[in-house]
Amino acid sequence: MEQPVLQWQAGTVTAIRPETLKTKSFTLALPKWMAHRPGQHYDVRLTAPVTAPDGYQTQRSYSIASAPERMGELELTVERIEDGEVSPYLHDVLVPGDQLEVRGPIGGYFVWEVSLGGPLLLIAGGSGVVPLMAMLRHRAAQHATMPTRMLYSSRTADDVIYRDELDALAASDRTFEVFFSFTRQPPEVFFTFTRQPPTGWTGYRRRIDAAMLGEVIKPFDKRARVYLCGPTLLVEAVANTLVQMELPTEQIRTERFGPSGA
Amino acid sequence: METDEGDMNTALMVDGNAVAGQLQQIFGRDMTMAMARCAACAREAEMGALMVFTQAPGVVLRCPACQAVIARIVETPSAIYLEARGAAFLRMAAQP
Repeated sequence: MEQPVLQWQAGTVTAIRPETLKTKSFTLALPKWMAHRPGQHYDVRLTAPVTAPDGYQTQRSYSIASAPERMGELELTVERIEDGEVSPYLHDVLVPGDQLEVRGPIGGYFVWEVSLGGPLLLIAGGSGVVPLMAMLRHRAAQHATMPTRMLYSSRTADDVIYRDELDALAASDRTFEVFFSFTRQPPEVFFTFTRQPPTGWTGYRRRIDAAMLGEVIKPFDKRARVYLCGPTLLVEAVANTLVQMELPTEQIRTERFGPSGA
Repeated sequence: METDEGDMNTALMVDGNAVAGQLQQIFGRDMTMAMARCAACAREAEMGALMVFTQAPGVVLRCPACQAVIARIVETPSAIYLEARGAAFLRMAAQP
């Protein structure tokens, strides 16, 4: 594949949308836009005087949330990290019309395209859902029908990013199912929340474990292509469990984003 | 996910995907699908799957099988250092 030189460019923020209390999606219009592959990310760079008076620069990688079919712009969904350097600026200071220095698209390992086929099992921890959402949006834009399941672990129902879109997708597409797992949900809140569970909705109230993985992967068995993204400890635990379940390692792609909330 | 104090290093670990931009800047192409053979244990892994530690003065890439250091990257204002003694080789697809 042709790979143009990676260059920084100034994108223009065209929209900012809150997703949850801690996450926002930023739409950027890029002068040198190019189609990405779902799962890729962009680097975002902040330069003084934004961060410090001495020309200091700092950068972070953020996964692309939008599908490549959306031409000319891209969407990054970013979780606000309390003691972070970049995400608080993006959340608290940036407004539509501002410019943001970015380079990308970057990466080739944690990538899924319709041509790679399925059955597809997407496993997310927290904001690890972002690159998986790009895959799902790409799959929907291509009207692809390979069997696809998502297992999405978050602290509480309020922390679920793209909740409405995931539910709508699951309701309208018989080949897609989403399973949520809430690790911190108090039981009473959980039952309030599930008073009207969508048809076929399956919820868990614990961390992802072997039994849960076994249930979700069952119809795909050893043919599942797995994309797993989230906090490092979650990814480590889930990947090890999948290997113990004798899923071929070459069918498992992982992306770790560090400590929880990083 | 809670951060286990006793397992801090693992919690801080990311993987080769996190430094894909830096690697692409150095090599001029995506390197996350390039294979690296560990000089210590001979295991081959995609660079995207290497264990990576970025919370240091530089970046450290380690073998996912034996955890030996495969490469280190340090950037200064005027230069980039890439030390890769821990890699027996890197193998990437020929470009058309």
